[in-house]
Amino acid sequence: MPDSGYPWPIETSRLDNGLRVVVSEDRTAPAVAVNLWYDVGSRHEPAGQTGFAHLFEHLMFEGSVNVAKTEHMKLIQGSGGSLNATTNPDRTNYFETVPAEHLELALWLEADRMGGLVPALTQETLDNQRDVVKNERRQRYENVPYGDAWLRMLPLLYPPGHPYHHATIGSMADLNAADLATFQAFHQTYYAPNNAVLTVVGDAAATEVFALADKYFGALPARDDIPPAPDGRSVPATGQPAVEKVTGDVPAPRVYVAHRGHPFGSPGYDVLTVLATVLGSGRGSRLYQRLADGERIAQPDLVGAYGVDLAHAPAPLIATATARPGVSAERLAEGLAEVVDELATVPVTAAELDRAKALLSTAWWRQMSTVDGRADTLGRYATQFGDPARAADRLPAWLAVTAEQIAEAAADVLGAADRVTLTYLPEETP
Amino acid sequence: MTLITDRPGPGAARPYRFPPVVRRAVAGGQVVAAHLPGQNLAVALLLLDAGAGREPTGKEGLGGVLAKALEEGTAQRDATAYALAIEALGTELVTGLDWDSFQVSVQVPVDRLTAAVRLLAEAVRTPRLDPADVRRVRDDEANALRMDWANPGPRADAALRADLFGAENRWGRPMYGDPESVAGLDVEDVTVFHSEWFLRPGTLVVAGDLDRIDLDALAAAVFAGTGGGPADRGGPIEVPVRTGRRIILVDRPGSVQSTLRLGHPSPHRAHPDHVPMSLAGTVLGGAFTSRLNHLIREVHGYTYGIRGDFASSRRFGRFAVSSGVQTAVTAPALVEAVGEITRTQIAGVTEDELAVARSWRAGQLSVELQSPRAIASALTTLVVHDLPDDYHARLREELLAADVDQVSAAAATHLHPDGLTLVIEGDAAIIRDDLTAAALAEMITPG
Repeated sequence: MPDSGYPWPIETSRLDNGLRVVVSEDRTAPAVAVNLWYDVGSRHEPAGQTGFAHLFEHLMFEGSVNVAKTEHMKLIQGSGGSLNATTNPDRTNYFETVPAEHLELALWLEADRMGGLVPALTQETLDNQRDVVKNERRQRYENVPYGDAWLRMLPLLYPPGHPYHHATIGSMADLNAADLATFQAFHQTYYAPNNAVLTVVGDAAATEVFALADKYFGALPARDDIPPAPDGRSVPATGQPAVEKVTGDVPAPRVYVAHRGHPFGSPGYDVLTVLATVLGSGRGSRLYQRLADGERIAQPDLVGAYGVDLAHAPAPLIATATARPGVSAERLAEGLAEVVDELATVPVTAAELDRAKALLSTAWWRQMSTVDGRADTLGRYATQFGDPARAADRLPAWLAVTAEQIAEAAADVLGAADRVTLTYLPEETP
Repeated sequence: MTLITDRPGPGAARPYRFPPVVRRAVAGGQVVAAHLPGQNLAVALLLLDAGAGREPTGKEGLGGVLAKALEEGTAQRDATAYALAIEALGTELVTGLDWDSFQVSVQVPVDRLTAAVRLLAEAVRTPRLDPADVRRVRDDEANALRMDWANPGPRADAALRADLFGAENRWGRPMYGDPESVAGLDVEDVTVFHSEWFLRPGTLVVAGDLDRIDLDALAAAVFAGTGGGPADRGGPIEVPVRTGRRIILVDRPGSVQSTLRLGHPSPHRAHPDHVPMSLAGTVLGGAFTSRLNHLIREVHGYTYGIRGDFASSRRFGRFAVSSGVQTAVTAPALVEAVGEITRTQIAGVTEDELAVARSWRAGQLSVELQSPRAIASALTTLVVHDLPDDYHARLREELLAADVDQVSAAAATHLHPDGLTLVIEGDAAIIRDDLTAAALAEMITPG
């Protein structure tokens, strides 16, 4: 068993304005990953402003005081780099991987949009990116079968007012109503150096990065009254299973079973991570063996189980299966529920546990095999747990999970009385 | 002012080096490996000359069915025992298929590589292929394709491919087949394809810390019991470009977006214009900063994204643009996209655009080739296209040396805006009149 899931050096610093800087040097390749985690996500959005954190992420690519519209992309790509950004309920991350000689450029660009976005933000840019995001919503959620499953599950899992009640993509109505002043205020409120972690991994020395960080970010003012998101840590159990049936343009019945588990980063979430792998990863998993192979009621490529790694409230654990031709949704739902229920009653064997841990080990090292994968991981642990070095604990924690803990966790959080079941049914063909 | 106004220039560049390549003939097969010192994870990939191009016309999807059938039990153990054995090592059997090759691989912590490769070989060389299992896998695969084809895209892709290359040819039909072609396969098709193409040695590609890997042991496991030499791979296929544009409308009632696929044939992979042509594709549609993405997304907001590129295999190639646009703007988005392709063909590229494109493509070689999986994939390119060990270094030089004249000439020669086939998968009742009014091309109904 490895003692550490992170056998590279980690050095940290904090600028006077509160920006935390994390550096992990690795000279293997002449590339460097630059990653910023801002501690703001859709959980901070009030009613009527759903989708704003994500739409804002788009605006961050549209120019700032010293960077013209579209120039950010052009400069990074023109340096040979890759870049992107993502928003989820918890946070927003921005990242680029560039040949090492362009590290300073990447830091300059990130500093310019951290400190100088608002003066460059125009109505025209907002309108354009609003249209782009609405097309993203159409493409990813509305125009594909089952595409809105996540949008439907969240409100079933979390009550109104809970920070995870609504999806990050937001509603079309809220997106349409977005005005410029709101976005200017959004940046001023959340995009402060003391609300961010800057991580640099790869072909760069810590001393050099700390000096550059100070040079480019050091003069940006801190903000001392950043409002927290609503507290979602306790979600009262309703004692009532939630059931939703959707009839639509889908090619086969599909069932999702979802539960609220534990927050990402907690010991309970580690147990659920191993549990989900036993349940739904690979051909040796219980769902595959029972539903796809054994009873042959589910399509083999479309069974699975996974946790959604959210850290600020009990995170969702989801299992899903899609019916083979001729199998009813009821039969499939029954089979799926049975396999989930058995996690509490049929002990996980040593072979099942070893298989899950081996798959998780490979998945961990795959994430660690690139400088960008490492940078995002360190930024996460620094942002969410205050210490990037805690990344090293995750793999050993998974490997320490026991069969008894899995059975206890199943009994604790996978109860049928606290279950969300979302079923898709194909429209009757006339 | 708290921000630094001046954009910093680059520091001293450290040269990128592709890892050292080791080539070895062992036990009747070829081994091509890259040394990644200190890397915990390793990838082994068996490359077989059994791509979609080897499937007989009318039997599309054979490789996909066989790939799944490999895991339904071997001479030594049944499907469940096999799954448990390989997943206990921390890997699944990953199969992949393109026009030129069939690939099967494992990815594990390096100390488990030999055991994983033995299991890979067991499935590829000695699968059970029990007729009842093969029939079930075939039905599952046909069904999986039906699921996939319920998404926007696959039907449009198939319509474009058929129009470009002719549905009477294997390469004019979908690479993975379609639900009907797969449903029509029988057990013998699968077993014959296996004995014809899966028992030849092929090439073993390895990416990992070679100080901790016994290549000879891997080769011995993977080439044991194989026979038969390389088969003739056929030369490039001449595919004429159409003389007039045409529109093919694929109806998808209720669709809130129209899926666009625009394309025409282009040269095969070994064509001497490969590098300047691909750079022209990068400027036009290959990067976020491309002309098409700028115009259709950043200026008009018609789409979440639009891409275009030249893609090629050993025997043929195609230029294609793909996007999903809001239904109401289908016609204007098409007019703008065709206009941009036309402008690029006529006026070529500018030095500014090309500077971004060549630096991006060259830089990507150091940025993207990090993981064992990515390195293994780069090695398969060397094998499939008969390229030398220093190919990636040379490619970098060629990209950086390409000038505006070369790339503009490639755009002029290899873009054919008047020979484009425009496939639109969307709500025909809503968009048909607009498309007719836009007068971009003759609308045809595929037979």
